[in-house]
Amino acid sequence: MRFIQALIILTTSSYFLTAQSQTDSTAIADSLLAVQLQEQMQQQNALQPVSVVRTAPTTNPDISAIGDFRSHYTTDRNRNIELYFNALEMQVTSVVDPYASANFIFSFGKDSLNGEYSAGLEIATLTSLSLPYSSQITLGKFKPHFTKVNILHPHAFSFVDFPAMVKNFFGDEGMFMEGISASVLVPNPWDYFQEFKLEAGRAESNASLDNGSSNMLLYSAHLDNFFELSDNSTLNVGLSALTGPNALNQRTSMAGFDLTYKWKPVQYNTYHSFTWQTEGLICQSDTSSGNAVQSYGAYSLVEYQIERRTFIGTRFDYSGLPGIEKSDERAISLLLRFQPTEFQILALEFQNINRNYAPSFQQVVFRAIFGIGTHAAHAY
Amino acid sequence: MIKFFSILSLLLICTLAQAQIKIVTTIPDLKSIAESVGGEYVDAFSIATGYQNPHFVDPKPSYILKLSKTDLFITVGLDLEIGWVPPLLNSSRNAKIQKGGEGYVDASTNVPLLQIPSGVNRAEGDIHIYGNPHYWLDPLNGKIIARTICTALIQSDPAHRMQFESNLKKFNDAIDTKMKEWNAMLKAMRGTKVIAYHNEWPYFEQRFGLKIVDFLEPKPGIPPTPSQLAKIINTMKRENIRIIINSPYFTSESADLVARNTGGTVVTLATSVGAYPTIKTYTDLFDYNVQQILSAVKE
Repeated sequence: MRFIQALIILTTSSYFLTAQSQTDSTAIADSLLAVQLQEQMQQQNALQPVSVVRTAPTTNPDISAIGDFRSHYTTDRNRNIELYFNALEMQVTSVVDPYASANFIFSFGKDSLNGEYSAGLEIATLTSLSLPYSSQITLGKFKPHFTKVNILHPHAFSFVDFPAMVKNFFGDEGMFMEGISASVLVPNPWDYFQEFKLEAGRAESNASLDNGSSNMLLYSAHLDNFFELSDNSTLNVGLSALTGPNALNQRTSMAGFDLTYKWKPVQYNTYHSFTWQTEGLICQSDTSSGNAVQSYGAYSLVEYQIERRTFIGTRFDYSGLPGIEKSDERAISLLLRFQPTEFQILALEFQNINRNYAPSFQQVVFRAIFGIGTHAAHAY
Repeated sequence: MIKFFSILSLLLICTLAQAQIKIVTTIPDLKSIAESVGGEYVDAFSIATGYQNPHFVDPKPSYILKLSKTDLFITVGLDLEIGWVPPLLNSSRNAKIQKGGEGYVDASTNVPLLQIPSGVNRAEGDIHIYGNPHYWLDPLNGKIIARTICTALIQSDPAHRMQFESNLKKFNDAIDTKMKEWNAMLKAMRGTKVIAYHNEWPYFEQRFGLKIVDFLEPKPGIPPTPSQLAKIINTMKRENIRIIINSPYFTSESADLVARNTGGTVVTLATSVGAYPTIKTYTDLFDYNVQQILSAVKE
């Protein structure tokens, strides 16, 4: 009964858009034959002497704020219903000079254990714009390119939460590191996009990796291959690898793959689209006793845009736990997402989660993402 | 041996002399104009196709590869491509084409803009703060764009200044000639009230004397709502409006619904070169649109 009540609460979120007419355009009759190029330019000067703004008349960076409100009903706890503001993400980004750009992301998130809000620095990077040989260097704090999904921020991922593989191995928000990232576009005879990226630094401690107490650093590599199968469809294939210290001051090594197929008709690309994305990883954690524990994770999702603002999707998750044998989690998620505009996303997700190391449970999660300001577009 | 090196040097010089300026444009209209002005000295590629909504283009990594090798990047500007150009430029690793770089060409330079908002509020929908960005749909603005591109080409390849200037003159002459033709064909249409799907025709409207009364979108970028369509139907009946202008990348359901309820005609105009197979050049674009409007009036 309480489940149904919660479901009703969650699903009664409705959205109304006020219809309002557009200001009429004004036709200006003039003699077309008499209008010459010079006259047009003079006319422009006469009408708009100083107000013609083609670029922002300021050196202020682009600033945006993105809110993430959530509500869920879960069978996992005594308090089944939650409504809470999950996080506020603030981004400040700009070019620094002709040679580099900078990006800062601050987050104000709610601690799920004590309910307190705390501020943190998620991303702080300096990225080169003009190195030779099609190379690029980023330094600072960033999300390493291990698997495709890890580099995303939660609001940019189509589902309400990250796959179990990412959450169990790296945490709810994925993996972060401080260090340097170097990438190069690999020349090849077929002239397709191939990027090789190498990263080195120290990981922010998570379930798999530790910041480290020795000189052992985290090294990560990613090879990205992008193929245009047709005007309407693309295939992205990536290979990842990393090695770094774990909490036992031993080495954890991982390998991963990602595969993404996207279909979107060029002409009606705002109406329909289809995505199939699958990723997997294998993790080997060395222990103090000299043994190595292997664990695995994978997910596969499909998403279909049924009309301009509505998407449906499903995801299958499998994930072990790093450094722990014979523990795994399997989950299935069903997604309904509605995007009134590109600045607002409302999503409802049902999840059935089975774990062999803890009770299984079901939950329904509602998420509202909303952004203001100028937020940098996400990569493809 | 000397003879061998002489031949090799000659071949090298010939190759360099014929090296084309690599150009990437955001929309095919800019590509067409660049090809008209640059002629055989340019190799141009457009990221968006002619039948694609230029507001929403996926920033595919393959475009990064194109941008990494290009000499000139020509953009519509005015934030039309803000949703997809910045991540491409940031990843291009090409300093020349970054904003402010020698190879970054903003085609809106010197174009007299329409609909510059006095205030900006997202509650008004997708408002472009610098003015309406669909300025290439006025053929006389095409001449200004061509001048801007010509200047960029001369800066990039001063040795072919004469050819670029000559091509520019041919392009301008062609537009002037065609303008007489288009103007004569649409003379009777001046002042005709029409409805449009999206607010992308103010420059075309101004140039050819149409009067766009309202839009199927309640606000720019917001899909048509039942209340807006009802309002449009009433407006069309009240003001005896017969034509609804659609664009190739909007489905026609809403426009068809309004047409059925008003006895009006839906005419899908091309917004860019390449929207339909017959539209191969910038002047073809207006040939097609003028013909479409005339056909709609005759129906």
